[in-house]
Amino acid sequence: MADLFQHQLDVTLEINGTRHRLSVPASATLLDVLRERLQLYGTKKGCDLGACGACTVLIDGRRANACLMLAAMQDGRRIATIEGVAQDGALHPLQQAFIEHDALQCGYCTPGQIMSALGLIAEGRAGSDADIAEQMSGNLCRCGAYPNIVAAVAEAVRS
Amino acid sequence: MTMVEDRSPRRYEAALKVTGAARYEGEIRTAGMLHAALVTAPLPSARVLGIDTAQARALAGCVDVLTHENALRIPPAAFLTLCQEPVVHFAGQPVALVLAETLETARAAAASVEVRYAPTPAITALEQARATAFAPRTAGLTATDSRRGEPEAALAAAAVSLDRRYTTPTHNHLAIEPQVVLADWDGSELTVHTPSQAVFAHRTGLAKCLGLDVARVRVISSYLGGGFGSKGGAWFPCLALACLAAKQLGQPVRLELTRAQMFTLVGRRQETVQRLQIGAARDGRLAALVHDTVAQTSTYGEYADPVATPTRMMYACPNVATTHRLVRVAAPQPNPVRAPGEGPGSFALESALDELAYELDLDPIELRRRNFADRDQHAGLPWSSNGLLECYRVGAEAFGWARRPRTPGTLSDGRHRLGWGMAAACYPAYRIASQAAVGISKDGRVKVRCGTQDMGSGTYTVLAQLAAEALGVPYASVDVALGDTLLPEGPYSGGSMATASFTPAVEEAARRLRSDLIARAVADPRSPLHGQQPDQVSVADGVMRAGNRSESLADLLARVAPQGLEATAAAAPEAKPAKSFFGFGAVFAEVRVDPELGEVRVARLTGAYATGRILNPLLARSQFVGGLIWGIGMALHEKTVMDANLGRIVNDNLADYLIPVHADMPRFDIHMLTEDEPHLGSGGVKGIGMLGTCGTAAAIANAVFHATGRRIRDLPIRLEQLL
Ligand code: FES
Ligand code: FES
Repeated sequence: MADLFQHQLDVTLEINGTRHRLSVPASATLLDVLRERLQLYGTKKGCDLGACGACTVLIDGRRANACLMLAAMQDGRRIATIEGVAQDGALHPLQQAFIEHDALQCGYCTPGQIMSALGLIAEGRAGSDADIAEQMSGNLCRCGAYPNIVAAVAEAVRS
Repeated sequence: MTMVEDRSPRRYEAALKVTGAARYEGEIRTAGMLHAALVTAPLPSARVLGIDTAQARALAGCVDVLTHENALRIPPAAFLTLCQEPVVHFAGQPVALVLAETLETARAAAASVEVRYAPTPAITALEQARATAFAPRTAGLTATDSRRGEPEAALAAAAVSLDRRYTTPTHNHLAIEPQVVLADWDGSELTVHTPSQAVFAHRTGLAKCLGLDVARVRVISSYLGGGFGSKGGAWFPCLALACLAAKQLGQPVRLELTRAQMFTLVGRRQETVQRLQIGAARDGRLAALVHDTVAQTSTYGEYADPVATPTRMMYACPNVATTHRLVRVAAPQPNPVRAPGEGPGSFALESALDELAYELDLDPIELRRRNFADRDQHAGLPWSSNGLLECYRVGAEAFGWARRPRTPGTLSDGRHRLGWGMAAACYPAYRIASQAAVGISKDGRVKVRCGTQDMGSGTYTVLAQLAAEALGVPYASVDVALGDTLLPEGPYSGGSMATASFTPAVEEAARRLRSDLIARAVADPRSPLHGQQPDQVSVADGVMRAGNRSESLADLLARVAPQGLEATAAAAPEAKPAKSFFGFGAVFAEVRVDPELGEVRVARLTGAYATGRILNPLLARSQFVGGLIWGIGMALHEKTVMDANLGRIVNDNLADYLIPVHADMPRFDIHMLTEDEPHLGSGGVKGIGMLGTCGTAAAIANAVFHATGRRIRDLPIRLEQLL
């Protein structure tokens, strides 16, 4: 077991447009590499078991739970995290809509909700409020910001 | 969902949270930091015979393993001290703490620690030991038992009576952010980064535990990713263990709980078995209420939720008896969870009243109106305010209650049965002592400093708003510092009391600062306001005005106090209040039941709440909706399941323990009835965080009865109960 934990692999990850060449333990998840190696703490760890959505990122444009992905298997992939959503200090309209609609309370699920919504919008499946709610049900929010999140996403889709 | 309705200031820290820039305490790192991992016991009751750490220590990067044999001693305390004795009180209890250079090594080393146990007999379910129930010292902040009049005689003589049993299961808090601590020990001082609902209480506790002066301990909690009761005292044993390790090793230590550990190590809502007996006259007037609760506690601690609070005080009834009893189970220690006591208690009481209404063929609102209490029935004090009747009226009208047919099973939509139910809600308006400081610098920026916390409830925002309004400056010019024991001592975040506690202190500090600024202006010959009467000077948008003369606060400060000015204030509740303080509400639910599948969906929730002064309607609405969602979870989803044979929790993850998700959301309609609260001393504020969770499960269960004719008395309501 010790061998497995210590075994290092080289990967290149393109994160928010920047290429990172890294040597990572074979057992390291993408989530731990983002947070512990690259200090990209915007992607949150809520369960580490694929059940809460707090760690949602986009991998080659598709939504994924970073806690379920081994970093070593993402070689060459494009990864988008919450840190790359605002451009040159200007908030993305979806981020602005989250603020306007008070779509967050503690904010810990928020990056995952936003990344999930961006993925959903790109997939073209954010039709009705009911569609948004259905497609984002993997993103848990214990504070109960759900209705405001859906309202924010719906507004971003409209604009 | 309606459009965002108001001009409330937006959440103070929102931009940091939507960009991922807010640095939560679990995201602080420091040089030389060790990662900790817990080794936990798989048995509910055992003696530890031996712990073999050789394999773990052999792993490269493993620095130490602390057990009861080698950990520094913690003086005897009111909480469970970990790694101090070879005894296991519940499955999941830590028996060793591994310290390593990386997270991966810490986990691997924890997995290779070998512990030998001798199992000891264990009570693993409340039902196994009902006969051993005992009376706790208190129920929450209230007395364990209460009695007025002659309830037994009144029950026997009542024209109509009911005797019902309701049960509510164990719940877990499950904030999305796990409990985490970075204990930074520099050889003489301890700095603790942890999401804490009570930085000052944690500081005091840690100082005591580690034998340090409080001045040498600093606790910082800038952001919390939710708390709900799980980041106060319940988190303290693990927090203390990590700090102990830092002191023992002379190095910073970081411990983060796993999701499974959040089911065992940071408290839980105790399961309850409640017997409720009601006696009433034919016209619905209550003659007797008897409410007896048996609940779970651990083998080593004692905690009882105040389940009977609403039964004691809310309805006019001359004969009332309530009891709280506990049974010791070899399971984690319960503690307060959002709407402790009043949540489960209101499920029983408000369900029973619905049953009584059907028994009497009365409208459920009319039954409650006839039993409206014009004063607190338990304390015997007049209400500071009680907007319950108005909540019934406003809520019923918004919901369309008048169109409700009384007979169950008569509303439908296609193949779905519809049901409408309601319940009343109440929660005490507590407050505690608080200090605060409000300062201004020469660039005109205002700073509020208050050592309270923001769990996501909007504390940053309302602190900034209060100072801005009381001082007369724009909201955007206010900065807030909270969550740090170096700040003036603020209230803990719990019991819906933080806002009511700090509001008078912040307002007073801001008023003092305002008076000081005006006094300096009128006394300063260089000020355009020189010689004006202080009470003729107004302040708005950061500018002082008297008649057609004006000067900005920034200009004044640059001249008279370039170093800036600050005022402080303290506020505390009266020792013996002459009024009873509660927030009230009425909640209305529409459910949609699939008669073939037994599936229940909440389609609409309407809540009308009377809770004093609302500081920020947008954020308050979010709080109420959040509270109602917890009520949905209580009604339909949440239950921590114990395997009675193994004494272990079987659903200790977010896939098997169900909480409400996006797809479970009904339409929400929230009405906030503002009250003028001159007696409250809190600047008119009553807490709102808990209220949405009170009564909601009953309203949903009552709606399920209305849809199906089935009365469900055991939560959560499951498919199989409706087939
Ligand atoms: S942390 Fe990845 S899904 Fe919860
Ligand atoms: S805002 Fe707290 S978990 Fe979603």
